[in-house]
Amino acid sequence: MQLEQLLQNHFGYTSFRPGQKEVIEQLMNGRDTIALLPTGMGKSLCYQLPAYIFKKPVLIISPLLSLMQDQVDRMKQYGEKRVVALNSFLNREQKQRVLQFLPQYRFIFSSPEMLMQEQVKSRLNQMELALIVVDEAHCISQWGFDFRPDYLKIGGLIKDRRPPILALTATATEKVLEDIRHVLKMDDPYEYIHSVDRPNIRYGKKIFHAKEEKMEWLIEHVLHTEGPGIIYTRSRKRTDDITTQLLNHGLSVSSYHGGKDAVDRQFIQQQFLDGSLEWIVATNAFGMGVHKENVRQIIHDSIPSNIADYMQEVGRAGRDGKDAVAILLYGDGDEDVAHYIAGEDLPNENQIELYVEYVRRQVNPKEMVHDGLISETSFRVLHYWMEHYSMDEVKSIFRQMMNDKYRSVEEMLNIVKSNQCIREQLVHYFGQTLNSKPEHCCEHCGLEYQHFLLPRITKDTKRNSTTWQTRLRQILLGTD
Amino acid sequence: MLFQYLVLDILKNVENARTISSPYHLLKGKRSGQTIQDVGIFRLHSYFGILPTLTRQVYDNEIQKLVEHQLIVVSENSFQLTKQAIELLQNYEPLPLNGWQYRGNEQIFFSRLSLTVQSLSHARENNMAFSPIQKDEEIQRWVRHFLLINDYKSGLLNHSLYDEILQSLESTQINTQAKEIVVKRLAGYQETGFTWEQISLEYQMAEIDVQIIFVACLHQWLNEILLNTKQYPYLSQIADKIRVEIPLTGSAYHTAMLFKKGYSIEQICKIRKLKQSTIEDHLVELAINDPTFPIEQFVKKEDIQLVLTTTEDYNTKKLKILHEVLPHLSYFQLRLALARGENSCN
Repeated sequence: MQLEQLLQNHFGYTSFRPGQKEVIEQLMNGRDTIALLPTGMGKSLCYQLPAYIFKKPVLIISPLLSLMQDQVDRMKQYGEKRVVALNSFLNREQKQRVLQFLPQYRFIFSSPEMLMQEQVKSRLNQMELALIVVDEAHCISQWGFDFRPDYLKIGGLIKDRRPPILALTATATEKVLEDIRHVLKMDDPYEYIHSVDRPNIRYGKKIFHAKEEKMEWLIEHVLHTEGPGIIYTRSRKRTDDITTQLLNHGLSVSSYHGGKDAVDRQFIQQQFLDGSLEWIVATNAFGMGVHKENVRQIIHDSIPSNIADYMQEVGRAGRDGKDAVAILLYGDGDEDVAHYIAGEDLPNENQIELYVEYVRRQVNPKEMVHDGLISETSFRVLHYWMEHYSMDEVKSIFRQMMNDKYRSVEEMLNIVKSNQCIREQLVHYFGQTLNSKPEHCCEHCGLEYQHFLLPRITKDTKRNSTTWQTRLRQILLGTD
Repeated sequence: MLFQYLVLDILKNVENARTISSPYHLLKGKRSGQTIQDVGIFRLHSYFGILPTLTRQVYDNEIQKLVEHQLIVVSENSFQLTKQAIELLQNYEPLPLNGWQYRGNEQIFFSRLSLTVQSLSHARENNMAFSPIQKDEEIQRWVRHFLLINDYKSGLLNHSLYDEILQSLESTQINTQAKEIVVKRLAGYQETGFTWEQISLEYQMAEIDVQIIFVACLHQWLNEILLNTKQYPYLSQIADKIRVEIPLTGSAYHTAMLFKKGYSIEQICKIRKLKQSTIEDHLVELAINDPTFPIEQFVKKEDIQLVLTTTEDYNTKKLKILHEVLPHLSYFQLRLALARGENSCN
């Protein structure tokens, strides 16, 4: 059967989006594949369709538990029941049950940590897989921004006669791509590299010298231009501060960060999707799993820690292909905050020495986490390296990583400080060339916001005066 | 404001005996010997574990505010309530909380209920592709099972559950605002719920106060459901194993166990080698903690009513006065009647 026919049967689409067909064809020929597709370009279809063709399970390795959960939820939402997340959220009994029936699932999501367990590894080696997918594959590279040590072990997961590997990422420089090929032991992979440029997004930039000016600009801007939009900040506190200010001006806006109640986060996403919230003010915790097509504006209240993060966050605008604007705000000294946050999760020399001290006293170094001396994330990274190298080597590795992170912030800062075309700089960073520029390309090429941003229409914020009885009835019985 | 009252009220109870941190552990529901013992000694049952997600930072901020407003004076190892605080507390009407008996399980009840309601709302529209507001797998499994055994597809469950919620919540002894808050935390097809922040803005009160009222409403609602399980068959399924059945500690717990096995007070005295008055203390504690405890076997219905009207007429709960007015009732009977009054009146 034609691939298009299968696409229609299983997903109801009549045509592929760029790259999907090429990738699927290569996988069907059994060839390892790397696909670099920007966020929102239908990456997951690249492994979903083959699962229905091969009629064997697809293993998807995903670095973040929350991301994994979101993907599983979404598949279930669309009626796919044979999907499972094999991760540390399962208790012993649940895990045994999942392992027992593993070959019967169509999609198996798992984390690298879980796959390294002997039991899981041997089970996977006994069964036939259609495909191994490494999602967010840039996490493999220690040059990447979200390096995850356990990703390095994926290469040795399936010993012989393995199925093709599909490495998916939205952001990777040539250096990172090289790491992906090498670590996953890919065999002359086919590579589909989509341009990272999103022509419908226009890049704006504003520079401030006093902190208050930034807030004033934000309020003015949000009061007078139409959303929906997201304002990204670097801290929970700043998120709450901006939200309070905007709320005081009568805007329908909500803050979103990791400290929020889990149900609240659901409500906020829901309200943003259905349009009752115009703006979300958020830390980088917001975005993943929020599939809203018509986001018109992304504002960065401060510079992100690196260009890749910036591209990912900006990429949440204009998924419907219509015009959208991304505005980056910069105030003197913002890079200090970015530096601090970038280095936050890296173990410092003191912690490295403590690790050695714990081992010498024959105490499990994991206790450092319980003793409040190191965060869980930092410990995972530290532990990985300490198992492979001496203390001095590890120290120098982390010094190197710290330098890299600092350099990433500098790269981001250069874009802010330079007077060159923003779009061109972003695309160059990923080793690509820009073929054409849209009109009103960016702040430096000349960008008039009013071309893209409609004046805000003040909406009557629905006064919620229904009684609880009416609301209850509405929910359970509808309007009839 | 509410949170402030609550912390002050607890502090008043433990003044000169415990540290400034003890309310924090109590509100979080810390399961340590000290905290659990304190619940009994200082009669703090209602507050136990009502704010399981309270952070130390929020608590310390509140204490700071109490100091700034000159409601407490904190020294190195102790603290004191000021005269101002005592006056303030006189205006405080305690919320009908029942922390000791629900131990945070009211949140499980509400998680089950909200996912059930969300599912039914979508099932009605033949649209089961929605993002569940409860991510906990245990809750999801529970709700899936509940929906299947109750034949959710027929559409009848929507009506039955609506009727039950309407009836039981209307009978729940708490103000309308509290009920509104609870229903605002539900969501359905094209009906999103409201965040704590949004509710707090609408009612012009602190988020934490909204959450406390929410918990109080759940406690009262659960009391209503569990006292009338026959009337609310579906809700009582959802409330299954939510209440801690014998929510007592130590000696009182042993007494309660024996009593539930059918032993009389006299028999329990012999078995446990304790004085009758002690056993009576335990039973009163049981009555305070368990609104379904049948005190009518010790004190007649009319007498309970009599005690309650007397407390109102004389505006007192002092046993000595009540005993003078109602000499035909023993102290034990008076205390039982008062226990019931505390459970159902507020």
